[in-house]
Amino acid sequence: MHGLQALLKKLIRTGAGRSRFVLAIVGLSVAMLLILAAVQIQSNFNDLLHSKTNQDSVANFLVLNKILNDQNLGATALSEKDIEELKKQPFVESVGLLSPSRFKASIQSNSTRFPFYTDIAFEAVPNDFIDVTSKDWKWDETMPFVPVIVPNMFLDFYNFQFSFSQNLPQLTQGVVKMIVFKINLYGPNGVVNFNGHVVGFSDRISSLLVPQEFMNWGNSRFGKNQDTKPSRVIIRTKDPGNPKLTDYLRQHNLTTDADKTRFSRYRQVVDLVVTISGITGIILLAFALLIFSLFIQLTVASCKEEIVLLITLGASPAQLRAFLMRQFFPVNIIIILVSVCILSVLQYYLHYLLLEQHIYVSAYPSAGMVFCAIGVLALIWLMNRVFIRKYISPTAGK
Amino acid sequence: MTIALDHIVPIPLKDRFSQRTSDVWNNTLALEQGAFIKIKAPSGTGKTTLVHILYKLRNDFEGAVQIDNTSLSAINDDQLAALRQQHISIIFQDLRLFPNLTARENIELKRVLQTPFYEAGVIDSMAEALGVSHVMEQKAGLCSYGEQQRIAIIRALIQPFSWLIMDEPFSHLDLVNTQKAAALIEAECRKRNAGFIITDLDEDTNFTYTKQYSL
Repeated sequence: MHGLQALLKKLIRTGAGRSRFVLAIVGLSVAMLLILAAVQIQSNFNDLLHSKTNQDSVANFLVLNKILNDQNLGATALSEKDIEELKKQPFVESVGLLSPSRFKASIQSNSTRFPFYTDIAFEAVPNDFIDVTSKDWKWDETMPFVPVIVPNMFLDFYNFQFSFSQNLPQLTQGVVKMIVFKINLYGPNGVVNFNGHVVGFSDRISSLLVPQEFMNWGNSRFGKNQDTKPSRVIIRTKDPGNPKLTDYLRQHNLTTDADKTRFSRYRQVVDLVVTISGITGIILLAFALLIFSLFIQLTVASCKEEIVLLITLGASPAQLRAFLMRQFFPVNIIIILVSVCILSVLQYYLHYLLLEQHIYVSAYPSAGMVFCAIGVLALIWLMNRVFIRKYISPTAGK
Repeated sequence: MTIALDHIVPIPLKDRFSQRTSDVWNNTLALEQGAFIKIKAPSGTGKTTLVHILYKLRNDFEGAVQIDNTSLSAINDDQLAALRQQHISIIFQDLRLFPNLTARENIELKRVLQTPFYEAGVIDSMAEALGVSHVMEQKAGLCSYGEQQRIAIIRALIQPFSWLIMDEPFSHLDLVNTQKAAALIEAECRKRNAGFIITDLDEDTNFTYTKQYSL
């Protein structure tokens, strides 16, 4: 059938409007570069966002509270409605209430050699939200000790600031865990003492944590008021950089550790770039497809006599469609392959460029980008098929 | 492959045929494969119309053309193409060559449009037989009408067929060349056990006809 192709090529000249065709090719190339770049940028950013280096446990847990201002002083409690609404948000996986102690408490050293005393307040949080696992993390009235979890930054503050200023020894986590101290709870009927010891250090919540059971017991026994509405909640989220999350917080006058949501700002920029690039690419693609369509129409129209005679002589519409497809489609494969190659090379350089700044992105194009390329190729194939069928069919049967 | 005509009347010529009888128009005809059929008629009586109806180039007629019991009007474009590639070959009165292709390319196109029936070399031997070897590499549009007619004949004979339809195929050939062409046509038909339908203005002895009809 090779001979037939050569003869058809002589008869159905695709030379008419060649400059328009070149223009369409250029347009399609730019469109492909933009669309595929958009996909690649998005996937690079997702890589950065979800890679191991970014996905520390701190980032996925956010403690939220109302922004304190002059108007809501003393009224920062979150209503049940607030909490229910928060639970319904797609970016929230689960919500835990932080219950504060509503009794006066202090801790003091048992040792005279190393004396300390401080007034203190505790918080409790459901166990699912705690990043410390310890077999000692439980409490009932028969237990000799109250387990306490201390924020890591407390110990850092002590070791790297306080100890120097007070001429005290630095303490390792192990040493701190061995210290037994006294916890005093002040109730209406006087002071009750407990022995406490540190069972772990948390990066997640910046307050002294005691088991929920101890908190409930203490609040019911020593609590000054029975207002149980929480002021702070902890949420677990897949992606603290989600701009929807930061928008929601802003709208509801809530705040959290801004550092944890810093990615949302980058992401809004990336989203904008991706959207602009993607939309421009899609518009260009649409125009390129339109020009291709016109080009096919022009070719068929300018060779109408030849096509009619070919069909008269017995060429089947399927043969002609296959021929036209072979004339018009392969250039698209080349365009897309070249686009993918260019982006792959850029990605490879980007990998090394960012590596110097200790940012890791893959050296290879993302699967999403390759799928997108295949998808667009399939779309072009389909459109070509539709156009060719559309313009050949009226000629057939004459 | 049999061709059956069942009361065919071309709509534009309808009034004219209602006033006179014809062997073909508004009649029932069954043409068996292998038959050599001559259709004789003066100008303007619809020879070309009949040829075009049989080749499904026009559909403006009443009645039905059946090919092996299938109505010609019922087949689709792809089936029609298959019919023209495998079973029905044609020599048009107006030849219908591609003027920008060489004589050889015109013939070659028809040879390779389907799985080739003949090797490419057969083109040369047929061209030799009809005395057009010298124009094979010339553009068809530059050949004389007589040469073009012989190229159209070779083009029709290069493909497989069960029926060969010819519309005044020798109109521009002298007696010697007509005889050469007729001999080649007859040999090719016999080789395929194929029949032909030939239209012409006058009586002739070019072939031994199975049947002759007047339009």
